[in-house]
Amino acid sequence: MVKTEHPTAERGHARANREAPQPGTSLPPIQPVLRSLNPDIAPGRNGQNPVHLPTTTPTEQSPQGPAIHAELAAEQHVLSTEDFKLHYGKHRALHGITMQIPAGKVTALIGPSGCGKSTLLRSFNRLNDLIENVRVEGRIRFQGQDIHDRKVDVIRLRKKMGMVFQKSNPFPMSILENVVYALRIGGERRRRVLDEVCEKSLRSAALWDEVKDRLHTSALGMSGGQQQRLCIARAIAAEPEVLLMDEPCSALDPIATGKVEELIYALRGKYTVVIVTHNMQQAARVSDYTAFMYMGRLVEYGPTNSIFVNPHLKETESYVTGRFG
Amino acid sequence: MQIASVYIRGKSHLMFGLCILFTAVILGLLGMVSGYLISLGYKSVDLALFTQLPVPAGAAGFPGGLQNGIVGSIIMIAMASLIGIPIGMLAGIYLAEYSSRSWLAGPVRFIADVQTGVPSIVVGILGYELLVVPLGSYNGWAGAAALAFIMIPLVARTTEEMLLLVPRGYREASVALGATKARTILRVVVPAAFGSVITGIMLAIARVAGETAPLLFTALGSRFLESNPSRPFPSLTVQIYHAAMEPYKEESRKAWAGILVLLALIFVLNVTVRLTMRASGYGARAAR
Repeated sequence: MVKTEHPTAERGHARANREAPQPGTSLPPIQPVLRSLNPDIAPGRNGQNPVHLPTTTPTEQSPQGPAIHAELAAEQHVLSTEDFKLHYGKHRALHGITMQIPAGKVTALIGPSGCGKSTLLRSFNRLNDLIENVRVEGRIRFQGQDIHDRKVDVIRLRKKMGMVFQKSNPFPMSILENVVYALRIGGERRRRVLDEVCEKSLRSAALWDEVKDRLHTSALGMSGGQQQRLCIARAIAAEPEVLLMDEPCSALDPIATGKVEELIYALRGKYTVVIVTHNMQQAARVSDYTAFMYMGRLVEYGPTNSIFVNPHLKETESYVTGRFG
Repeated sequence: MQIASVYIRGKSHLMFGLCILFTAVILGLLGMVSGYLISLGYKSVDLALFTQLPVPAGAAGFPGGLQNGIVGSIIMIAMASLIGIPIGMLAGIYLAEYSSRSWLAGPVRFIADVQTGVPSIVVGILGYELLVVPLGSYNGWAGAAALAFIMIPLVARTTEEMLLLVPRGYREASVALGATKARTILRVVVPAAFGSVITGIMLAIARVAGETAPLLFTALGSRFLESNPSRPFPSLTVQIYHAAMEPYKEESRKAWAGILVLLALIFVLNVTVRLTMRASGYGARAAR
């Protein structure tokens, strides 16, 4: 399985600094901008602000602190990462992400392909455990509990986090069996309970009226948009606390996308939603908070409106206005 | 441009024609073989073939039927399947789902591939040494075990290949819903691949149904209707073999009829399994 390291804070930072790119060498284009961080981003506000503090001598200092907007400090957090790093073999995909996901809100992760959004999302429910040669450092906390702790039952963790994937992936079973899959593996056999949960979940996913007459037919006979909403219903049926969505609309037509977006909008408050998306308009439409990631780092994170209308960093502005990425 | 377009179209027509031609060649060969079999065998297929035991030359009722062989083959293939399919499928599941970090996978896969290529007579000798000599007599168990030995690598490798074709999205979705790996495999992965795994199993059964050599050294064959696998056990293929060796015309006609019956049995088994699967919903899944 995945090797998990828990370095002490000192060790983690020392490594981060050692491996940080030196100024003037092969810096990615975003770095110069980051160096002149916006003065608004003061570290340590209320002791809550998770700005990554440079801890070492000026020569080693790497100005990688993300721009975290102050509004986030006022939120209650359900999920948080602390200097979280992830390696695929020798390749490091996440370079120390420190962020907090507010409870009951929709948080969008945006950024160009390969920036680590999906990797981060899949770290929250430890789905990366399935991939070989993945190594993680730093911490992810869910409701205060370190999810990589030995005592944590990963099965229970995943039951608390529903996930919806880029490509809709209903199982080759009936629609009903798809929705109640999580209950089935939990050992639920009572017909009445299964039927109830099925109806409730399909209603939440705005799918009930379309499929109520064919619950016992194969889910593979549904249209793409219906399949994706079925996957959402399946995730909701497990009554998770967090809903992780990995580009849930990228394979859907505009009408189906609209339906799924309405659904996500309706789910706020009830669930904490983290959604990865390539579609900037979608992030703007459905999310309360938006995090912009670039090359495995968190660049800017704040209320969606600020990120799109009044971003603190030039790099964020360039990305959200479509000038790069 | 005009010339180029005609040239390209010509090439396309030529390729299409070649595909049709070679498909026709393959189908023609198949048709010839089965047509030849049917033309030689159909006249000798009668009720007596299924209801009578073989009768030696010179005795009244010569040449008799193949009842003991048909029943014996069915019993022995059923026993071989009961041993071979579970072991083969579990080995295939291991190879596809669990072996990625294990040193064992490479050797297992290699041995399975070599085992598929072992001449069946060698399997017969192995069965003779391991199950006939220690038990002191030719017996049906040894025959079933030899057939199972041939089935296992076939079933294991097809199961592995078919499970690997199941999209990763299924596994991820199931695991993300809090299923354990074993449950994911049992409830999602194997059912998704079930249709094609069944096809592989059918091919393996058809393959062993036609085996003669391993049975000559293990089950030996018997002229009686046998129900005790601890004794020498009759089988259709061995009886066909013996009948074909006889100098009498009646015996060789019985051999042709036996081959036809064997083919028909495999065909009926295939169709039955497929229809059952379709009725239970697996056919639709396999089609996707």
